[in-house]
Amino acid sequence: MFNQLGGVSANPNKDLEVTSPPEDAVSSLEFSPPSVQQTFLIAGSWDCRVRCWEVEASGKTVPKAAQGMDGPILDVAWHDDGTKVFMASTDKSVKCWDLAANQTMQVAAHDAPVKACHWIKAPNYTCLMTASWDKTLKFWDTRSAVPSMTMNLSERCYCADVDYPLAAVGTADRAICLYTLEGKPAEFKRVESPLKHQHRCIAIFRDKKSKQPTGFALGSVEGRVAIQYVSPANPKDNFTFKCHRPPAAAGGYQDIYAVNDIAFHPAHGTLATVGSDGSFSFWDKDARTKLKSPEPLDQPLTKCAFNHTGQIFAYAVGYDWSKGYEHYNPAKKTYIYLRACYEDLKPRPS
Amino acid sequence: MGRKKKKASKPWCWYCNREFDDEKILIQHQKAKHFKCHICHKKLYTGPGLSIHCMQVHKEAIDKVPNSLPNRSNIEIEIYGMEGIPPEDIKEHEKQKTGGGKGSDSDDDEPAAKKKATPALLGAGPSTVTPGILPTPMGPVPPGMYPGHMSMNPMMPPFMQPRMMMPGMRPLFPAASVPTSTPSKPTFPAYSNATISAPPTTSTSSGSSEAKENGEVKPPAANSCPLVTATGAGSKIVHPPEDVSLEEIRARTAKYRPKPKPDAPVAQPAPAPAMITPSTSQAEVAAHMSAAVAAAARQQHAAAAAAMRRPMMGAPMMGVMPQTMRVGVPVSMPPVMGMLPVMHQFNLMRPIQPGMLLPGGMMPMGAMFPGGMPGLPMMQPRFR
Repeated sequence: MFNQLGGVSANPNKDLEVTSPPEDAVSSLEFSPPSVQQTFLIAGSWDCRVRCWEVEASGKTVPKAAQGMDGPILDVAWHDDGTKVFMASTDKSVKCWDLAANQTMQVAAHDAPVKACHWIKAPNYTCLMTASWDKTLKFWDTRSAVPSMTMNLSERCYCADVDYPLAAVGTADRAICLYTLEGKPAEFKRVESPLKHQHRCIAIFRDKKSKQPTGFALGSVEGRVAIQYVSPANPKDNFTFKCHRPPAAAGGYQDIYAVNDIAFHPAHGTLATVGSDGSFSFWDKDARTKLKSPEPLDQPLTKCAFNHTGQIFAYAVGYDWSKGYEHYNPAKKTYIYLRACYEDLKPRPS
Repeated sequence: MGRKKKKASKPWCWYCNREFDDEKILIQHQKAKHFKCHICHKKLYTGPGLSIHCMQVHKEAIDKVPNSLPNRSNIEIEIYGMEGIPPEDIKEHEKQKTGGGKGSDSDDDEPAAKKKATPALLGAGPSTVTPGILPTPMGPVPPGMYPGHMSMNPMMPPFMQPRMMMPGMRPLFPAASVPTSTPSKPTFPAYSNATISAPPTTSTSSGSSEAKENGEVKPPAANSCPLVTATGAGSKIVHPPEDVSLEEIRARTAKYRPKPKPDAPVAQPAPAPAMITPSTSQAEVAAHMSAAVAAAARQQHAAAAAAMRRPMMGAPMMGVMPQTMRVGVPVSMPPVMGMLPVMHQFNLMRPIQPGMLLPGGMMPMGAMFPGGMPGLPMMQPRFR
């Protein structure tokens, strides 16, 4: 199970390694929704493939299936019923992968690579939301070749998240647009970015009591995360914090790394961030404290995910291009690790 | 807007393109951000001053002004507030400010407290700063003496001389003054790390010159903030210089280009080109839940829907969706622009610069398009 070749540095936290990992960096990582009994993990990769594993209770991973597209995968999403997976690619299309039949079918298209796809399950409709570098956000009912709705973005989409009834899209011009999905998707408001650098990842969080989406966490390339409420009761509720900035060597420059992904724990409401520096950290946004930062790895962490019960934290290790093409070392393998995280993410007792 | 005129005349920092309400705050900013010694935190008065200080006191050479934009990092140019800025840069900045673009309120970058905290040391502006209270080793220096002193200064390159004639009251040799023994705390701790970026509007102005430095050409206005820069004292952001997402940069690499579909030209459905006309895209944009099938889209809808009903696996099905036909076109191919008007704003469609898109020295353009010139004639059959 453990990585025998990479030694300690490749897996310093002794986490469980997913078998048959992708051959190139992982761009997207999602656990199956609660509607399926078993736990499946899907990962989209720069090797143009999407892979599916079953994660057994023991932590053992069994590769189940894989599908390819014509370009690298940029995002994956589960259908709410857990039988299908959507995969968005640089080939400007999104395909729906029926896991049972192992068949794929194109369900969406853009004029440029599709950066994000999310399945929306509303009481009165379901649809696929896709956001692209063609500066549009489209909604598809997956049976029609034309989108049921197209909205313009101010710039290329860099990150998006959906938690019904809220959708949030971050764009290249450091804008954030929020959408309400109730009834039908509609622009809700544009938010001025709390961050001064390129947006990289966004994750919606829920209110602790009402369990309704109430805000989002936004990560930038400048090692910083903003916690932003949609309608803050107090403007001081919004704040930013620094992360993924390993201490500087004596007298040297401090390197600041990109926040590659943010995920909220489904049960505790705490969050995890992964960065180009190869580290991941768990945070309690309400107590504004770091809960844990396990040992950093020797390569960037590109993506992370919690399963729906919040027992498993998955994170993907691989080169994210943050140091440019020159630092790409094909000899360094991509890994996905699983970690039991339920205790680690318990919020600080207040 | 009546305020535009005023904005154009706001003092701004040559090193990072930030604007300020008041020149004295600009000077404070420059001292704190650009002229501060990273070793003893002493605030100097000019770039050359900082350089001389570090050389003489710490025996360290500084080649760049801290926290400056890449093309504005020249440590040898003596700039104090708005004085000493090369006239062409002033012109460019004015043009940028008046030439439209959303005005970014760079004042937001500063905490309110910071703005109020004006030390008594500085008067209302640089012109009223009394040289005598500045820590020059020579004591007060009357402005008239500047040219003479400057010409005696071997550290100053000769081209600096004309600018030195300005009746500024910059301290002459601030670097030579005795360093404070107690390292002062960073003035704005919260802001000491990489939080201030160049305001988007102003930094675009530097785009052209930056492009030259990086050997890259960026389409104007494609990015509001073209470079990932501006880190605080002693820190740097690990990211390619271009302010474009890692995914976009990566996707440009030859290795990650979507596979060309070998049978794409054959499999093209006849009405395909209709899908990429601007009118169609507008129709799509206008379409809403209820009016999903707009009149213009109806025709392709039928064609595309028919295509989609087929399973999408296996070779014969490749490219059945009209949109997918463009898959084979490398995203950064400029000639495609002519045929894909809807994509003209797309950032990756920039003019190709040798070596820019394909690090590693590969030239797949030639391989993919043996005609040498990645020109239209080679591409057109795909769209017919």
